[in-house]
Amino acid sequence: MFGHKKDRVESPPIVGGVCSLLEIPHGHKFRIAEINGGAGLHRRLLALGFHRGDLVALDGEALLGGPVLVKNLNSDTRIALGRSIARKILVEPADEHER
Amino acid sequence: MNDRVPVIVFIGQPNCGKSTLFNAIAGFKAQTSNFPGTTVCHAHSQVVWKNRVYSIVDLPGTYSLTPQEPQEKVVLTHIFGEKPDLIVNVIDASLLCRSLELTVELLELEYPMVVVLNMMDLAEKKGMKIDPVALENKLGVPVIKTVATRGQGTKELMDRVEKILAEQTTPRHLRYSGEVEGRIKKLIEMLPADFPVIANPRFTAIRAIEAETLAVDKFFLENNPEFKKGLDRVRQEISALREAPAYEVLAAERHHLALKIFEDCCRVRHARLSSLEKLDSLIMHPVLGLFLLLLIFAGMFYLIFRVGSPLEAWLLKPWEALRLGIQERYGHNLPAELLVGLVQGVGGGVAIVFPYFIPLLLLMGFLEDIGYLARAGFLMDAFMHRLGLHGKSVPLFILGFGCNVPAIMATRILESRRDRIITALLIPFIPCAARTTIILALVAFLLGPWWALGFYFLNLVVVAVLSSILTRVFKYSSPGLILEIPSLKWPSPKNILQKTYFNLKEFVRFAWPILIAGSLLLSFLSFLHFDRLVNAVLTPLVSGLLGLPSSLGVTLLFGFLRKELSLLMMFQALGVSYGQLLSVINRAQLLTFVTFVNFFIPCLSTLAILWKELGRRVALISVVLNLSLAVLVSWLVRLAFALF
Ligand SMILES: Nc1nc2c(ncn2[C@@H]2O[C@H](COP(=O)(O)OP(=O)(O)OP(=O)(O)O)[C@@H](O)[C@H]2O)c(=O)[nH]1
Ligand SMILES: [Mg+2]
Repeated sequence: MFGHKKDRVESPPIVGGVCSLLEIPHGHKFRIAEINGGAGLHRRLLALGFHRGDLVALDGEALLGGPVLVKNLNSDTRIALGRSIARKILVEPADEHER
Repeated sequence: MNDRVPVIVFIGQPNCGKSTLFNAIAGFKAQTSNFPGTTVCHAHSQVVWKNRVYSIVDLPGTYSLTPQEPQEKVVLTHIFGEKPDLIVNVIDASLLCRSLELTVELLELEYPMVVVLNMMDLAEKKGMKIDPVALENKLGVPVIKTVATRGQGTKELMDRVEKILAEQTTPRHLRYSGEVEGRIKKLIEMLPADFPVIANPRFTAIRAIEAETLAVDKFFLENNPEFKKGLDRVRQEISALREAPAYEVLAAERHHLALKIFEDCCRVRHARLSSLEKLDSLIMHPVLGLFLLLLIFAGMFYLIFRVGSPLEAWLLKPWEALRLGIQERYGHNLPAELLVGLVQGVGGGVAIVFPYFIPLLLLMGFLEDIGYLARAGFLMDAFMHRLGLHGKSVPLFILGFGCNVPAIMATRILESRRDRIITALLIPFIPCAARTTIILALVAFLLGPWWALGFYFLNLVVVAVLSSILTRVFKYSSPGLILEIPSLKWPSPKNILQKTYFNLKEFVRFAWPILIAGSLLLSFLSFLHFDRLVNAVLTPLVSGLLGLPSSLGVTLLFGFLRKELSLLMMFQALGVSYGQLLSVINRAQLLTFVTFVNFFIPCLSTLAILWKELGRRVALISVVLNLSLAVLVSWLVRLAFALF
């Protein structure tokens, strides 16, 4: 409906390896590969239902270096993550059959 | 069974509807809103069901049993400290898969338990078909479907509770994979005889393994180095199984159990995008969303003013007539003065406070229930970072517009103590509903809505400046935002009305007696000419610094009880009626006074909660901060008027 989500329709093939949540395009499926950062952050994300191996997609972001909105496609929940935290979450493109 | 009152606790992840369910069963007692972390303190109530008394406890939401936030620790004290007779595990059925992870964890306690699938209406809208019988079989505990907002399913729930309590059936835990289960068993055998076992040895062992990197771990080391060595060995073995920290391996085990159960018991058809989801993409839009945010708040105050001001004018008339009638008839003696005080106290409450207070509560209730608070936090996070805080404080500030007291309580959802203190110091600067009422009733009613808007703007600027100063004083980088954004929900009008009624009742119960007693006391004091003494003492401040009539001095003393009291008492102290106010003081003086009172020391209840939640020092700092800022800003307002 609104501009920033348009890229969900056209789906250019994504190739490549692991990158952080900040570097991926909106609306594409990615898999959580690694959560860097301390045990505190790791536990917190686990509790919120974000595990290694979960499928996630970027669902929005706020202006001026604000947080990103991450949707967990397995549990259908959404969390807002500050950039300093999103940077620590590494993802890889989901397999072909899951897209 | 003996005749002890059985204790039933409601446990579930944040925002699953525990408090709504609690209210549906026990009558409206707990605050609810579509924001994860609404309840930060337990609420309990005695309920009679089929001639038996039950004690029901509503707890804060917790994502897991390894607590990380202060309000989550409340849950643990209730489970471990005061062993409940029965756990009601409330689940947001529309988030079944994630919620089951906590259920698996709770089953490990092996306490009598009932699972409630709440928000069944939302789950169905999402195209989920949940098979309760299959779920009952998998979990080994009764499963009940409810829609708490409509009170559906509460009878069945209480019937099941009664049955489980009578039969004392306890569930069995679910098994992890063999290799992990083997390691846990090994640790159980290592538990020293004097080890404080919680619930059962297996649960205790799991908690001990997961305590890695937590404070408890040091406690183990200091008390029993031998056991700690064994514990570390088990952790290493578990960790080696999956090449991940032991706590993650255990969490992953539960995740897989939950996922398996979910897949076996739930079918999902793909649903169409609902109108709310379309609305959500507008609300969360990086640019339009911010516009909407401004529009919502400006629109809200405009609406309240449009509704409130004609109502106020209309309601004031009879009270004015009554006051004039009394003065004309009985002249100036003590009973007459007291009567006038009474009329002004009651009239102020009815005619000045209500017309604005009620629409404000209704609109705030709407924003809370639709789920706007967390979204405002998301949109504002970047700005808050510039001020040294993060977006999670925004919902608290918005709550502060309702009343500062619950907003300060809710600072418990902030992870770092530093953020908590700064946010709690800032909240008293947010004009609460009672103060907003006064701003609208005085500034907007007498000077025009633009002045009120300007006043609000000034207020926000003061908060922003203060925040950036405070965050520089308490230097430390904020840990970054992690905030769950709950789905938008159509608010139920019944719930909003109930909430408004509940808050209104609190206001009438606590604020009115003070308003009326204050008015009476002022009449009495002025009859004895005691007010002149107070005014004389405060003259240097009131007249000297702020350029106000010295007769306003005494009203400041009352402002300590409730801020709106000083403003309402202006008329009484100046001896004029509401409409004539601007004939005795000018615009600049009115604004200077309103500014001073607005920033002046937090009211008694705010101060009490600051003290209780964050200690004497923070409460004291808050008083000093508010007083000095009140003097400074109101002096600046006076100066600005003198110059321009
Ligand atoms: N549609 C729908 N909404 C519900 C239902 N139950 C609760 N809600 C709404 O969900 C929101 C959260 O409810 P609360 O009762 O505050 O949730 P809670 O579990 O107490 O939340 P915390 O105290 O934050 O842990 C509120 O806006 C409720 O109106 C339900 O069965 N159906
Ligand atoms: Mg609650």
